[in-house]
Amino acid sequence: MPTAESVLRGLADDRATGALRLGKAGVFHLTGGRVTYAESACCPRVEDLLVAGGRISAHAVRQARQAASQERPGGDLLVDRGLLTRGELEFCVLGAVLDAAFFLFEATGVRMRFRPEDRHWLGPQWYFDVTGLLREHGRRRAQLDQAWPSAELDTLPVVPLARIPAQQVMLTSLQWEVLVGADSSATPADLARKLGRPAYSVLLAVRQLGAAGLLRRPEPAPDPPAGAPPHTSPEAPAGAPPETRAPVPAGAAAPAGIAPGVPSAEGPGPSGALPRRAGAAARVPVPAGVPEGAAEPLRPRSSPEWLPAATADPTDVNLLIRLRNALEALA
Amino acid sequence: MLGIEECLTEVMAIPGALDAILIDQTSGMAVAIGGGSRHLDAEKSAAGLSGTLQATLDGLAVTSATGTVRVSEMIISADDGHHLLKPVETVFDGPLVIYVRLDPVRSNLALARHRLQALSGRLITT
Repeated sequence: MPTAESVLRGLADDRATGALRLGKAGVFHLTGGRVTYAESACCPRVEDLLVAGGRISAHAVRQARQAASQERPGGDLLVDRGLLTRGELEFCVLGAVLDAAFFLFEATGVRMRFRPEDRHWLGPQWYFDVTGLLREHGRRRAQLDQAWPSAELDTLPVVPLARIPAQQVMLTSLQWEVLVGADSSATPADLARKLGRPAYSVLLAVRQLGAAGLLRRPEPAPDPPAGAPPHTSPEAPAGAPPETRAPVPAGAAAPAGIAPGVPSAEGPGPSGALPRRAGAAARVPVPAGVPEGAAEPLRPRSSPEWLPAATADPTDVNLLIRLRNALEALA
Repeated sequence: MLGIEECLTEVMAIPGALDAILIDQTSGMAVAIGGGSRHLDAEKSAAGLSGTLQATLDGLAVTSATGTVRVSEMIISADDGHHLLKPVETVFDGPLVIYVRLDPVRSNLALARHRLQALSGRLITT
């Protein structure tokens, strides 16, 4: 199976112009063998970044998009109308393409199809050679792993700890945005869209926050291997209260054991304050919560603030579908 | 209203400018390199410079009374000239950093700062 990399290199050698579609994962646009635009299902597009950031209105984008033509691409229209400076558009496209390329190169097993002459409405604003894109992908990969070499938080809802095992923390502005935007159901990709920030930057911020021990980490997976229907797992733990019947993702029964105060109770030593929690503090195994007694049955429902409410509500279903799509795109 | 390439051309037109790079601070990538600076390893320089800025921010955050920092410009005077780093904030991404190295003898720091300020306003309006 050819990789996106090899196909792109071939197109670059042929000086091709058109769009290379990678199944549902996204698309690369090429102009004369160089990449001029890229879009990934996990990343905000240029217009999403501009609109979410409040730089231009969705209406202006729609207008430019409709008026765009081969001779006058939408990007040039936006600049000519004075809505954006050339530099802003270029930098925004640059950021969006690098962002999308990062996730597109990670996509595997997608069906690729090249459509010559298929153009993006913005028109070429910045040119990347394929080698440069790949080099940047490698750098970003390394940067991500350097921040925190675990992918466990990459696709889960971002849940800041209510109390942190430290006296003081220092945040970057993006980390702040992530914490403020986190609603316990939004994944890093959702947050990127909501905040109007590149998905990679948000992912990096989430990994940094994870490394600093400020986010709730997933349970150490007592669930069956991925692929099994999630609603089977809550039945599995012996003595699990019958209330856990709802299709909660694996590990959701755990909040019973993790009252907000627990992490701080576990970490009295001042020395161990900042390093990531080595498991015990935040991850009380499910059975530990069970003997706590009569009050238990209600707890899983009473602490829904860190997981989507476990109901058959269509928004939950949509969330699960989005999660699945994001996971597939990453796989 | 400036594009990235024109911006670099104008940065290189600052009296005494030796090298210029535009850097994406998020990833430390060189976005574009100014005319006379082809001898630079732009990738390495960009990564190093963005690390320098980040380290400075970290250091200042600890030092500042309030714990918050906003660097509008950073000047490092070294043997090989004055290094100016100007982060330009955007609403959609981490800052774009304009870097320029100035000849210690032939340059005028105040003028360079003034020109950079004006340029950044025409490159990105916020």
